[in-house]
Amino acid sequence: MTRSAEDSQASMPDSADPVSMTSGEQGSLRLVSRATHIKELALKNLFLLCAFVAVMGVVLIFAFVGLRGWPIFAEVGPIAFLGGADWSPTVGQYGIWPLIYGSLVVMSGALVIGTPLAVGTAIFLSEIATPRVRGIVRPAVELLAGIPSVIYGFFGLLILRPIVARLSDGLGFGAVTGWLILAIMIVPTIATLSEDALRSIPDGIREASYAMGATTWQTIYRVLVPAAKIGIIDAIILGMGRAIGETMAVLMVVGNAPHIPDSVTEPIATLTTQIVMDMPYAAGMHRTALFGMAIILFGVSMGLVALVRLLSKLQSSMDAGR
Amino acid sequence: MTHRLVRTRTTAGSPLPRATRLGLALALSLSCVAIAGCQAAEHDNEITVTGSTTIMPIAEIAAEHFMDVKPDTKVLVSGLGSSAGIETVANGSSDVGTSSRDLKPSEQDLRLYDTPIAIDAIAVIVNRDNPVDALTMDQVRAIFEGRIENWSEVGGEDRHIGLVNRDEASGTREAFSKIVMQEARFDRSAAVLPGTGQVRSVVAEAPGAIGYISLGFVNDEVKALSIDGIEATPESVVDGSYPVQRILHFFTRGEPEGLAARYIAYVLSDEIQQTVVRDAGFLPMRGGVVR
Repeated sequence: MTRSAEDSQASMPDSADPVSMTSGEQGSLRLVSRATHIKELALKNLFLLCAFVAVMGVVLIFAFVGLRGWPIFAEVGPIAFLGGADWSPTVGQYGIWPLIYGSLVVMSGALVIGTPLAVGTAIFLSEIATPRVRGIVRPAVELLAGIPSVIYGFFGLLILRPIVARLSDGLGFGAVTGWLILAIMIVPTIATLSEDALRSIPDGIREASYAMGATTWQTIYRVLVPAAKIGIIDAIILGMGRAIGETMAVLMVVGNAPHIPDSVTEPIATLTTQIVMDMPYAAGMHRTALFGMAIILFGVSMGLVALVRLLSKLQSSMDAGR
Repeated sequence: MTHRLVRTRTTAGSPLPRATRLGLALALSLSCVAIAGCQAAEHDNEITVTGSTTIMPIAEIAAEHFMDVKPDTKVLVSGLGSSAGIETVANGSSDVGTSSRDLKPSEQDLRLYDTPIAIDAIAVIVNRDNPVDALTMDQVRAIFEGRIENWSEVGGEDRHIGLVNRDEASGTREAFSKIVMQEARFDRSAAVLPGTGQVRSVVAEAPGAIGYISLGFVNDEVKALSIDGIEATPESVVDGSYPVQRILHFFTRGEPEGLAARYIAYVLSDEIQQTVVRDAGFLPMRGGVVR
């Protein structure tokens, strides 16, 4: 109320006769509007600065990584770098194919295990769970997203790895252990986003389905999942991004052997884990190669974000056409 | 109405130069903080000791004792691997670089001053349940090269050999590679672990595993193998018969001086050599063997 009173007063000098007001009132009025003006301006600039810092962060990192990593493509050549099967930087072999392979294997296995788990969780939360159960399960899933990855790694190293070791009669380091840990780690990402997608479906569609005599299961897999398809795919792509970029937890359980293993229980290395393993001592072309690997990771995550944006566009054009 | 008023004034006030000025001020104040931080690190009564994780226990306990005796000083110890130790002392970000290996040819011209501080032996360790007690140097090399893949080939059970290797920043790996592997390449399928403790705990759990760690870190959880018929004991290391051994170094830029010199002298004193160094499983540089 005070605010609107001030507002109307503040507008007065423009419209009302200035002579009818005392000079004191006029001064205080100018003061209020100036304070507001400065505050607004400061806030605007503050937010501009925030956005600027974030954008500059991306641009600087991209430029830095690009500049430092680019020479590897020029000196070693893109084919020898990306396709080379031998990662022995100390003797001048910079083939990262085993690492790309490792990243792909670890990511896809985690997706295969994690996606059904996550989408199932999302369907349960949005379609089946009673509000009370949802009140327990959803915070638990969200908590999963907040656990630092090094703790997942620790859990994997001390609990999962010995189990895998016993079952495989090996060391327990390998893709399988990585899959299990990453599958748990990507569940919150995929589950919360898929749940959002399912919840955004208007209730009318559910009601229509039930009115046609469909059971809950038929409604879910014939109506709701297809309707939320793009949202769920988005969620999976973002989960993919999480899986391929995850470093610490993977580092602790995969065994970090930069070669193409014969079995999923043999040590393997990924792009991210190799960067961490080598960074402390890498110098010269070796360090350049690590930045080259960072360029690949950057490219992959940009590709994934672009894909998500493309799908969102597709979704909105579909919504518009509906 | 006020809103409109404000908006009009804002556009008139050209916000961009103001933001630039703000950013400039921020950058300036940040760089001031950074410069002040640098100066603090150069302080006379504070040194940093960085490098080999193998030497960590000695450097750290010695630092604690040293600071007890001279409470106004600060000795900061961290373990990042020998290569990192040499790199940081060469580029000036630490005062003493610890290394469990000699300088590589590429590091020779960094003009580092070498103070040997102890002798370390590397033990080849296996699971306690493994019936194999002894291997020859050639067998160990063949195993780590991946030419021998089953324990039955060296007189053990029919079980796959699980290789546990260290990361390339490790001085232990460097020394093992030089002494045992004679620069032959390690099998690529070996698990690469970033620490001595991890190697030991993995070998302690997995029946088919084999790894290598400093003799000082061997405990009841694992079994150290005899190499070429010589048991890995302090005695066999001191008399020089145990073949897998190396010298631990402290590197400084030029001859050590000031606090670094006093710290290094303290590490070389009998007080540390005969207790801390021995307790860590290493052998004293003085009073040990002269080679």
